[in-house]
Amino acid sequence: MREYKIVVLGSGGVGKSALTVQFVQGIFVEKYDPTIEDSYRKQVEVDGQQCMLEILDTAGTEQFTAMRDLYMKNGQGFVLVYSITAQSTFNDLQDLREQILRVKDKDDVPMVLVGNKCDLEAERVVGKQQGSNLANHFNCAFMETSAKAKVNVNDVFYDLVRQINKKSPKEDKKPSKGSVKCVLL
Amino acid sequence: MLVRGCAGGELRHSLAERTKALAAKYHALCSPAREESRSVERNRPRHRKSQTRWYVKQPTWRLWGEERVDGAIYTVYLKKVRYHRPTRSASSESDDEISHLEWETVRVRFVKAGTVERLVEALATDDGELESTYVNVFLATYRSFAECSRVLDLLLRRYEALASEDVLPTATDNSQQHRKTLVACLHVWLDTYPEDFRQPPHHPALQQLLAFTQLHLPGSELHLKVLQKLAVFSAERNGGTSAGTGAGVCLAPGMRLTAHHTSTYRLPHVPHRHFAEQLTRMDMELFKKLVPHQCLGAIWSRRDKDRSHDAATVLATVNQFNAVSFRVISTVLVEPNLRPLERADILAAWLDIARELRVLKNFSSLKAIISGLQSNPVYRLRKTWALLPKEKAELFEELARIFSEDNNRWAQRELLMREGTAKFADTVGENDRQLQKLLHERGSPGVSHGTIPYLGTFLTDLTMIDTAIPDTVADGLINFDKRRKEFEVLAQIKLLQGAANAYHLPCDAMFDRWFDSVIILDDREAYQLSCQIEPPTNPPKDRRPKKINDNNNQGHRKNDSIASTSSSNSSQFYCETDGAGNSWKRDSLERRISPTRLSHGSSSSSLPSLDVSLSSGNSGQKPANGKAAGASPAYANTRNGPDFYIIRVTYESDCVETEGVVLYKSIMLSNNERTPQVIRNAMLKLNLDGDPDTYTLAQVLPDREMVLPANANVYYAVNTAYNLNFILRSRKTQPVEPVVNGKARNKRY
Repeated sequence: MREYKIVVLGSGGVGKSALTVQFVQGIFVEKYDPTIEDSYRKQVEVDGQQCMLEILDTAGTEQFTAMRDLYMKNGQGFVLVYSITAQSTFNDLQDLREQILRVKDKDDVPMVLVGNKCDLEAERVVGKQQGSNLANHFNCAFMETSAKAKVNVNDVFYDLVRQINKKSPKEDKKPSKGSVKCVLL
Repeated sequence: MLVRGCAGGELRHSLAERTKALAAKYHALCSPAREESRSVERNRPRHRKSQTRWYVKQPTWRLWGEERVDGAIYTVYLKKVRYHRPTRSASSESDDEISHLEWETVRVRFVKAGTVERLVEALATDDGELESTYVNVFLATYRSFAECSRVLDLLLRRYEALASEDVLPTATDNSQQHRKTLVACLHVWLDTYPEDFRQPPHHPALQQLLAFTQLHLPGSELHLKVLQKLAVFSAERNGGTSAGTGAGVCLAPGMRLTAHHTSTYRLPHVPHRHFAEQLTRMDMELFKKLVPHQCLGAIWSRRDKDRSHDAATVLATVNQFNAVSFRVISTVLVEPNLRPLERADILAAWLDIARELRVLKNFSSLKAIISGLQSNPVYRLRKTWALLPKEKAELFEELARIFSEDNNRWAQRELLMREGTAKFADTVGENDRQLQKLLHERGSPGVSHGTIPYLGTFLTDLTMIDTAIPDTVADGLINFDKRRKEFEVLAQIKLLQGAANAYHLPCDAMFDRWFDSVIILDDREAYQLSCQIEPPTNPPKDRRPKKINDNNNQGHRKNDSIASTSSSNSSQFYCETDGAGNSWKRDSLERRISPTRLSHGSSSSSLPSLDVSLSSGNSGQKPANGKAAGASPAYANTRNGPDFYIIRVTYESDCVETEGVVLYKSIMLSNNERTPQVIRNAMLKLNLDGDPDTYTLAQVLPDREMVLPANANVYYAVNTAYNLNFILRSRKTQPVEPVVNGKARNKRY
């Protein structure tokens, strides 16, 4: 089964963790233990193919800026999350995307732009059009989600899987990770 | 990866078990002394049993069900209690019946959810006894569902209600016991979380407590404690902040720039062990000051900008982590003219420091260094990494493996479990050859070390708990089970904080000065420098325009919260004297040996530690002026010139105190900055107040000074054939002594 490493990025308070928890196990779970491995892993079927998704959620560590490069290096697909109720979280994404491209040394990386908290329409400050413009500029997919109301959550991750498949079909045969490490030796 | 396969489930299970064991250990550790009192003794065997039983596979607890009462839900367990010999303990009302019992099953209930009133009531059991575990969980987490004043109010009112019952003829021992327990809770609260009562300037909660004790418990231990706390708080307020700046004592010598303190550390030739110890000392001070409940998801990850002070101690730890990473990145990149081998030596030095940090069990700075080395601008320097000796590359792999994200960071969780409260490092994987060697060499050290964890894992766990588990259940009752879950994490942090007391590390002011003197680069600056050292193989097309855009709006300064530690406020200073210190001589000798420097000859004039002349690695370039040994002139390669220079600015001052000492600040100079902006940047770095128009900036050339016109584009105006040394002068003929803030100079990021 092919494994997909997906990284969820965005400023603090945009609801990254809620997206991950909702996707992996559905909110709200009676017994939740964030320390076990399965908290961030989910097996899904996308287009008839079984996939194992490993989600790397940076929630709580957004301000450890020096560690972002490592997350980015290890990730194959990226979810860039902002909250539609906070303009600053939207503005932060430009820098994050640039950093991803730098780290990946590519111009095209599987990515989905996500405007979260779309259940809070009354508090909206980032328009849908703004989001889709930015996605055009990024040349990536765009979705508005609500982790709380379970809107579009799965679609974000499925879309990423499809993007990864398209860009690198069945590449897991060659250990890409190993080749990077060899350079160091 | 280790955990996968057949053993996976079991290992995971044992890990969870040990988490609980840790939490239990903590309970035992911080149980209030008051628990010893006779009345509570009956409870003790039960507690102790539950703690040791965590290790046992056979559950002695069995879930029975839930019980609902008005305003609360309880989880009820049946628990098997064993008796080794007939005792007087357990239920006293049936003494003769149980005296021959080997074991019995008792019913135990825990609050699962409730109103604040019910939760406060539950601080004492139905028998009025102290429920120490519950008290610890409650006090550690209550801030996420109630204010301090509200809880205090409820506690005191409950006491008063019980006291008024007392005068009735129906009064029982039970009520008295109950009140005793409430007083014990107040003791624990005051001892464990004195900060809750600080509330400057009037300390309302403490005043309320004082009024209460005066009325109900005059002259009691609690009364005296309240008075004492009040005295401490008001003394702190009146006595200024001197008591509050604990680290100031240590930093004080570093703030005095006497002419004797001329030498400084310079990578790669630094004492590794000493560096590791000093980093650990810095981390330890911050970690011991960390307030665990500030890590709670409700506080740390839900905070907004106005409330960031609520998590100040967490932020301080994060900033220190970043500061260490930035220093790794900076020291590797900042001198573009180093030969690859020299740069590899710097990587190796950081790895040696990291190795010592592993021995010291300082996982915070260890991870910070590894993160710095893995940051893109450093990691992408393949030619440099290729020159690292094999055993150093292995060491890097082994250390990086500790922090692998695989399997939900299993490796580091496991390691922390094993060594968290152990005396010294003794855990290595079977593939960790270098670390095995290291621990073998060291044997078991005579001294024991504390542990400093990487806080991020705890912060993520607490954020996820906060997200996944609802705050309230059934009709808005506070979900106390969530708080228990959170406490498992907080208890680990507290336990490690206790363990951190085992460190005994001296303070080295020279190290602090070195730490403060390192220039900090932000993402883009670091990447640009990195690309000058090793140009990218296929320069992507769409990145250039963006950068220019950024430059147009002063792009190097990020304004979002994430960038709070970026270069905009980095302080960089450097001092040297005419009589160069020993380290300088040593340094220049070493430089003479290195082939690239040979042709330059050498002289007594010292090489500035951060001579950041941004030539593009064109080593054949002949210096236009041979005066300064080794200090190659700034030279912009026309083909691939940098978009900025790093210039060094000094302030002209006649101040006697700094005579013979040249204080430099390095600042970034981008290609669109004009004179007033550069002066402003320089003033910021040099801690000068006032109007930028009252200053002039001049480049120091060998034969003269070139004063920059008032509105020149400095980037194009500077003479790059020479060193980019500048002097900032006050326009006034009579130079007024500038306001230099010594404290700010030692600020850390």
